[in-house]
Parts: sequence; C-alpha cells; structure tokens
Amino acid sequence: MAAHNLKHALFCAIVTLVIAYPILGFNLVASGTDIILEGAKTRTVILVLLAAVAVFLFQLFRDNVMALLGKAPALNPLANRQPMEQGKRLKLESIVLTLIIVGALFWPFFVSRGAVDLATLVLIYIMLALGLNVVVGLAGLLDLGYVAFYAVGAYTFALLSQYYGFSFWLALPLGALLAALFGLVLGFPVLRLRGDYLAIVTLGFGEIIRILLNNMTSLTGGPNGIGGIPDPTLFGMEFGRRVKEEGNTSFHETLGIAYSSEHKVIFLYLIALVLAVITALVIRRLMRMPVGRAWEALREDEIAARSLGLSRTAVKLSAFTIGAFFAGFAGTVFASKQGFISPESFVFLESAIILAIVVLGGMGSQIGVILAAIAVTTLPELAREFSEYRMLIFGAAMVLMMVWRPQGLLPMRRTHIELKAQE
Amino acid sequence: MQDLLYFFQQLINGLTIGSTYALIAIGYTMVYGIIGMINFAHGEIYMIGAYTALIAITGLAALGIAWLPVILIVALVCAMIVSSSMGWAVERVAYRPVRGRHRLIPLISAIGMSIFLQNYVHLAQGSRNIGFPALIEGGFRFGSADSFQTSISYMQITIFITTLVCMTLLSLFISRSRIGRACRAVSQDLGMANLLGIDTNRIISATFIIGAALAAVAGLFLGMYYGSIDPLFGFIAGLKAFTAAVLGGIGSIPGAMLGGLILGVAESMTSGYLSGEYKDVVSFGLLILILLFKPTGLLGKPEVEKI
Amino acid sequence: MKTSVKKLVTAVSASVALMGAGHAAAEIKIGIAGPVTGPVAQYGDMQFSGARMAIERINADGGVNGEMLEAVEVDDVCDPKQAVTVANRLVNDGVRFVVGHLCSSSTQPASDIYEDEGILMVTPASTSPDITERGYELVFRTIGLDSMQGPVAGNHISSLNPERVAIVHDKQQYGEGIATAVRDTLKDAGVEVALFEGITAGDKDFSSLVTKLKQADVDYVYYGGYHPELGLILRQARQADLDAIFMGPEGVGNKDINTIAGDAAEGLLVTLPPAFDEKAENQDLVKAFQDKGEDPSGPFVLTSYTAVQLIAEGIEQAGSTEPFDVAAALRSASFNTPIGTVEYDEKGDMKSFEFVVYEWHSDGSKTPVN
Repeated sequence: MAAHNLKHALFCAIVTLVIAYPILGFNLVASGTDIILEGAKTRTVILVLLAAVAVFLFQLFRDNVMALLGKAPALNPLANRQPMEQGKRLKLESIVLTLIIVGALFWPFFVSRGAVDLATLVLIYIMLALGLNVVVGLAGLLDLGYVAFYAVGAYTFALLSQYYGFSFWLALPLGALLAALFGLVLGFPVLRLRGDYLAIVTLGFGEIIRILLNNMTSLTGGPNGIGGIPDPTLFGMEFGRRVKEEGNTSFHETLGIAYSSEHKVIFLYLIALVLAVITALVIRRLMRMPVGRAWEALREDEIAARSLGLSRTAVKLSAFTIGAFFAGFAGTVFASKQGFISPESFVFLESAIILAIVVLGGMGSQIGVILAAIAVTTLPELAREFSEYRMLIFGAAMVLMMVWRPQGLLPMRRTHIELKAQE
Repeated sequence: MQDLLYFFQQLINGLTIGSTYALIAIGYTMVYGIIGMINFAHGEIYMIGAYTALIAITGLAALGIAWLPVILIVALVCAMIVSSSMGWAVERVAYRPVRGRHRLIPLISAIGMSIFLQNYVHLAQGSRNIGFPALIEGGFRFGSADSFQTSISYMQITIFITTLVCMTLLSLFISRSRIGRACRAVSQDLGMANLLGIDTNRIISATFIIGAALAAVAGLFLGMYYGSIDPLFGFIAGLKAFTAAVLGGIGSIPGAMLGGLILGVAESMTSGYLSGEYKDVVSFGLLILILLFKPTGLLGKPEVEKI
Repeated sequence: MKTSVKKLVTAVSASVALMGAGHAAAEIKIGIAGPVTGPVAQYGDMQFSGARMAIERINADGGVNGEMLEAVEVDDVCDPKQAVTVANRLVNDGVRFVVGHLCSSSTQPASDIYEDEGILMVTPASTSPDITERGYELVFRTIGLDSMQGPVAGNHISSLNPERVAIVHDKQQYGEGIATAVRDTLKDAGVEVALFEGITAGDKDFSSLVTKLKQADVDYVYYGGYHPELGLILRQARQADLDAIFMGPEGVGNKDINTIAGDAAEGLLVTLPPAFDEKAENQDLVKAFQDKGEDPSGPFVLTSYTAVQLIAEGIEQAGSTEPFDVAAALRSASFNTPIGTVEYDEKGDMKSFEFVVYEWHSDGSKTPVN
C-alpha cells in the first residue's frame, strides 16, 4: 500500500514538473531579430519545485488528507440546514428582492461615476445570465453560442441608428425581437440534436455570426465596428454636452443645471436596472407557468416528458427563443452604454463567461445567478492588480466548481435536482 | 494548364493543413469514442506542444546543436512528453472526477480547462506572436518556369509523411497491441470491459496520452509550416480539428484522417476561389450541416439512442 | 459576502477620493493608452517608453507650472472593445489628458468618449484620416495621415514601373485605409491593381493567398496592416517561391517581423516617419534613452515623447489645465519638438509631416531608399 502510494506520488510529482517547468521555467524572448531562451526568475523556478513537492506530499498522504477533510466541518454552514418552508421562503425572497431594488434605485446618486458605470455592466450581465439561465439552467440545453443573440441585439440597434437614425427606445424592442427571431430560426433545426452536439452546433453558429460581422465590412464596418451609437434620451432630452439629433433638447439645458457626464451614466444605469428587473420578473413568472414546468420536466427526463405528451420541439424552442430575446435586450443596452460595438465584443469567451455565471450561480436559480453575475463582473475590477490572472482563475474556478459543487453556489430549490449519470 | 496547376497547388495546400487537422482530430475522436465527451482543452494541448517544441529548438540552438535530424527528433520528443503529461494531468484533474455525471458537467469542466491552459501559457510566455524557425526549406516545382508553377515544399512533404506514419502506427497499435485491443473494448462498452477485468481508468488515460502526443506532433509541424505561434492559436485549430472528427465520423480513426483532409481542402479551395475571409464560415457551416443531417459522419457507426 | 461588501465600499470610496484628487492636488494626470499585451505590443513598448521618458524629463525640470505629471497607464490590446473600456476607466480616474491610442481602430471609438467627456487626446501613432474628420476639438496627433503615407508608397511603387500590383489588407481601419489610399494612387498613375483582398487579422495560414498572388503573377505586393500577418505572408511566400517585392506601412516596420519572417524579410519596403533619432539636435535625448537601456529608433518612441511634451507646453501656454483651453493653445502656436516644428490645423492634424521609404533588412536594420 505505502509502496504503491509512494510510486504514484513520485509519478505525479514528476508529471507536475514536466508540465510546469518547460513552459514556466523558460521564456521565449525576442532579442533583435532572433528568438532566444531565457531562464525564468528564480522565484518562478522555486514555485514550480514547491508545487511538485506539494503534489508529491498530497498524493503520498492522499488517504489521510481526504479522511481529514471528510471529518472537518462542512465549509458551508448552511449546507446542512433544513430547507425553509415554501411559503415563508418565497415571502422572504420577495422582501429581500424589493429591498435590493429600492436600494439599487437610490444608490447611484451617492457613489462615483466609475462605480455606476461598473454597475451598469453588472446589470447587463445579469440580463444575459438570466436569459441564458432559461436555456441552460431550466431547459437543460447547453448553448455555447448565446453571445450571437447578444450580438444580434447590439448590431440591430447600431445599424438601425446608423442608417435610419432609430432611437434607443425604438430599437430596444426591435433588437430583442430580432434576436428572438434568430433564436427561433436557428433553434428550429438544431434543437433535435443531443446535448453536446447541440453545444457544438450553437458554438458554430455563434462563430459564424461573429465571422460574418467581421467580414461584411461595407455593412458592419468589419473589425472596426460601429461607433457613434446614440445614448438613450429622456422624453427627447439628450445627455451629451451638445445635442446631436435635430429636434432634441439637451438635458442639462432644459433643467438649467450644469453639464455633467454623470447624468448620462446614472440615466443609463437606471434604464439597465429597470430592464434587468423586468427580465427577472418575466422569467420568474414564466418559471411558474406551465411552460416553465415543461422546461424543467424536459431537462430532468426527456423521454418521460415526451410520453406525457409534451412537444419536445415546442418546449425547447420556447426556451431558446425567450433566452435569445433577453440577450437581444441586453445587447441593445450594451451598444448604447458603450457607444461603440465591434465583433470582438462577441467572441466565444463571452459566451463562456455568461455560462460560467449561470453555472456558478447554480443552474436554474435566479438569485444565485444574480449574485454570481455581480461577483464575476466586479471582482476583477476590485482586484485590478490581479487582473492578468483573472481568466486563469476563472478557468480554474469553472473546473473546480464542476468537480466539487456542480449544483452551483445557490442551487435552485423548488424542484430538487441532482445531476446524475445519463445511461 | 495554368488553371489546373493552380488547382493542384490549392489542393496541396489543403491537404497539408488537412493532415495536421487529422492529427489533432485523433485526440477528439478517441476520447469521444471511449467516454463520449468533447475534450475542449485538446486544442490547448496542441498549442502547448508547439510551445514546448519551440522552446526545445531554441534551447538546442543556444547549445550550438545545428544538425537537423537531432533538432527535429529532440523537439518532437520533448513536445510529445510535455503534451502527453498535460493530457494525462488534465484528464486526472478535470475529467475523471466528473466522469459519469450529467453530460453538461464534463463539457463545462473542459471549457474551464481550456480557458485555464490558454491563460497559463499566456501568462508564462506572453501574448505576442513568436516566430518559429522554418528548419526545412526548399522544394520541388512543376510547370514551365515562365508561367505559374506548382510547388511542393519539403516541409509539406514532411508533414504528409509524418501524418501517414503516425496514422499507420496508430492503426497498428489499436488493432494489434494489448492496450489497443482494450481501447476498442472500452469504446464498445465501458461497463462490460470493466467487468472483464480491463483497467478502464488506465485505458482512458492511455487515450488522452496518445491523443495529446499526436497533437504535439501537429503542433511542431504546423508551427514550422505557418511560421509563428501565440497562446490563442490552439482554440480555433482545435475547433477545426473537432469539425474534422465529426465530419469523418466521431470515434473512427480513419474517419478523422478523411475528415481532416476534406476540411483542409474545403478551406483552401474556399480561399483559393472565393475569399480567405470566409474559410472559417465554410468549415463551421460544414460542421453544422454534418451534425444536422448525418450526425454519425462519413465513416461513423450509427448510434442507437439508449433509454 | 460580508468582506466583499466591505471591499466594494472601500473601492468605491477610494475611487471617489481619487476623483476629487484629480482636480485639487498639484498633479496632472496623463493617461497613456496603448497595447501592453497582444499581437502588436511591440508598438505599445515604443509608445510607453517615449511617453514615460518625456514625463520623467519634464518632472525633473520642475514639472508644468509647478505641477508634476503623473502617468496613468492602461492597456487597450489594440482592440476597439478594450479601448472603449480603458477610455472609460481613464474618465473614471479623473484623467484629462491622454497620450494614445495607438491603433487607429482603437483611437476612433475612444476619441468619441474623450471628446464627450472633455478630455484632450494626442495620438502618437494613429494615421487614419477619419479620426480627425469629425470636427472634434480635443483630438490631436503627432504623426501624419494615411492620406500622406499612401501616396508616398503608391508613388514609390509606380516609379519602379511594375506590371501588376496586388494589395492585401487586414480589414482594420488602419490597414484597409492605407491600402485604399495606395490603390487610389496607383490607379491614378495608371498601374494595374490585379488583386485587392482582405485577410483576417490573427490568421496563420496564408498559403492559399500566396498561391493566388502567384497565379496573378504580380511583381509588387502592398500590405496594409501589422507585422504579425505580414511576417507570415512573407515567409509562406518564400516557401512557395513567390518572388514579388513586398511593401508595407509603418505598422510592419519593427524587428519582430524578422523573428517571424527570417531571411524573407530582406528587401521589404516600408514607409516610416523619418528617423528622428538620427537628427543631430536629438542626440541628447537619444542618449537618455540609451542610458535607460531603451531603443529610441522605433517609429513611435519620439512621437509619443512629443505628444507628452505638447500637452505640457500647451498647459503652460494656456496657463490652465482645462483641456479646451489647452486645445486652443495647441492650435494657436507652433512648437519646437524632437520631431521638428509642430503646427496644428483646425482639425488637429499637423500641418506637415513627412514619410520616407526604407528598405528593411534581414538583420532588422533599415536603409533609406531614394
């Protein structure tokens, strides 16, 4: 037993060295016209060695460590508590939600412009994640091309405003509807595919849309994107320093106050907040309607659901379309907030981030998803000095979550789900 | 005549790229054949193979070793060892613990691993494009000297031959060796193979190691052929190779070869006769069409939905 | 949860404090926005080294009107999306003067934000004419335009009496813009442009493109874009025995093209700003760079240095740190800088700027072509 452990531990330590040392221990640097090899800093080398030793020790005493970990009290003190009574929980939830919304309404007037700007981004991600949550969390369809619908919403607004001078308020429903239409059209042929094939096909669609946006230079500006996207107006009042559209007035002149770019930021934040709340409420409502139950039924057991007479295509398609609709919503807000969009904003990584938010939050759970969106978007901003490690930690966190807590931070409660092996 | 030579040149270009896609596709197809999961991080393993090979080549150059066969063999061996270890470790850390859970879980874990590895190399080696020495230069030309000439570089020939050798060895290994036989048994029925006393964990590890080693071979040769590498180039190549695997019929090794070649030629014809901007659209379009209309691919076995 | 709330509060209050500081303290923040990472980070290195040197030297001389300059560096990866993000970050940090961005496609969207927020921007590298075409008050540059550089390249090619020329570009604002300018010049000169095609930046396989170029039997290829792609094209062209002469704009002129293309880079023609570091009056400055172990010969080092210097002199002349006043001062006077005498027109472009054709060599050196 011990000998076997020792052999295995040695092997693991050597593998650690082999995968870490060549990549971390040597740096390829350009020196003049040549590429030369430089040894890494001593600190890095020591860290690699320490990592190997750590792996060795862990593997050697693996059984003991695991036993110890098993004995240690659960990290999450809430893990073993009794689930709250249904009615009581719902009541508590709505009180908390109302408090949060009221707080969120007044909060921007007391903080800096940067914080409000960041909060707007968080709200956009909340919309996206809530929309994807319908597709992945509730209906169990792994959509890796979700960002395509986000792009459709954003580009709809950008193109309509550029060529036809549409305003934000007109483009908002159009962008969302067009994204939903895209979802419907794309969803129709692909939804009969099995889980991971579906994932790949949606990924392919997402990439195709991005490549098309990148190449239709005459229409979309290609990699240069589209700039000068107008900000939302408030009853015909613009928030810029100068009025851009004829017939509009400017906000600060109408109200007779000094110009400040903060007005615009706060206004955008409030719009995003209202839209995010609408998104949350609509999806909450849908979840309790027959269609919502059908999504979950289909996720849990497709064959059983079909034998109960649910139309697989209709149910899946409804989830796909609704998810796409809210992505389009978020896309329009995003285009307006940035004032500029380019295909780079809609790469696969963006899909992966939204997916990670959904997974991290606990697939299906709204509050979990909202908390995860806040965490994933704000943490990198708070730790800017670590920002280069952001994606590294991100990837590692996705793996660790899947290994240790696939149900997410705040798993969905109403119907208890346990993801199990599919035979 | 001119047009024909042009066509042949594009065909050769396509076959070269296609055969490297095939090498990467093996990793996808074998893993999928055995545990039914898409190893999203495979493209990154290929990228790491290319980086290791470049580090080895630069290191040898610094030591003053200039004899080509030594450089190639050392680079190849280093790349294969590091990539295989990576493949093995990735499976142990990210896939084995989630094996057997709901289908989406290993997939998400794989995406996380892919992001992690990309950024691991990005942090360690920077994000710039690093030039990769060509090492093998020159080639044959066909056609009269005063008009269009079709040329086959020695590099392209090396890539063909290496791919063929690797594929033959792999086929022999799968059909003749004990581990190969076990591999086939496991891919037919994992549970049953387990009952029959095959150490399935070992076999699954072996699949990852073989796939990663072949990806490293592709990494070295594509690095030399293209001319530069960066931490992001594994992702798209991985996606293309996956397309190749699906095209040929996922789970089938000759299928991966066929799919790779078809995809490579389709891409090069698109850029040759239409525009290079749309070659990725063509390959992803092909992927979608195949999945929609013939999910089993060209050489794959039809799969029965189990209840 | 509790700690993260605490962190949020701390971060928020810190940024509030910072914003206040931007207006009150005796420090002028200069944002430097360019690519620190990504495929064209080499140019970012040039920009940052030039701008940092200028800030150091100005501070060593007692600052601007007694106030010190403070650099706020951000990384835009030369990606338009990141450019917008970092531009907003600079706004939030209370920066009122920016040296950047580098890539035209980043400068364009970022300048929308700066103009709106009243921030003065001097780009040391973006040559796309569109940037200054929109009547913005606060946008300046210390480099010429594609509409100056394109004709230089086009005229040079047509002076070599080519039979057929191909033009390839990377579809980005800079690459396509300059490729179009070259094409127009060539057409006016009556040279046949056999092929005008876009590629995707970041792509690696150009064998099909090279075959196409061979088929078109061109003797000159103009490439509008950056060095990572041109390096690969050069090398793959060499492999496929394409014997055309390549030419590119200043975005390809750096030593990294040699690490990718190797010997194939020999004989490449490049249009660059003149070698300011070889001017006699700049030798003092060149030595300062060399003492720091930095190379002042890159095309954007001294333009970035000049950008900082202009901002500083503009503030001094205007006697205020209000960007609109500084912009007016920049437009009204002429300045003596390492890149020569700078005078601005209404749009914020320099009244004169010269581009020179160089021949690039496989050892990374360059020689002027007459």
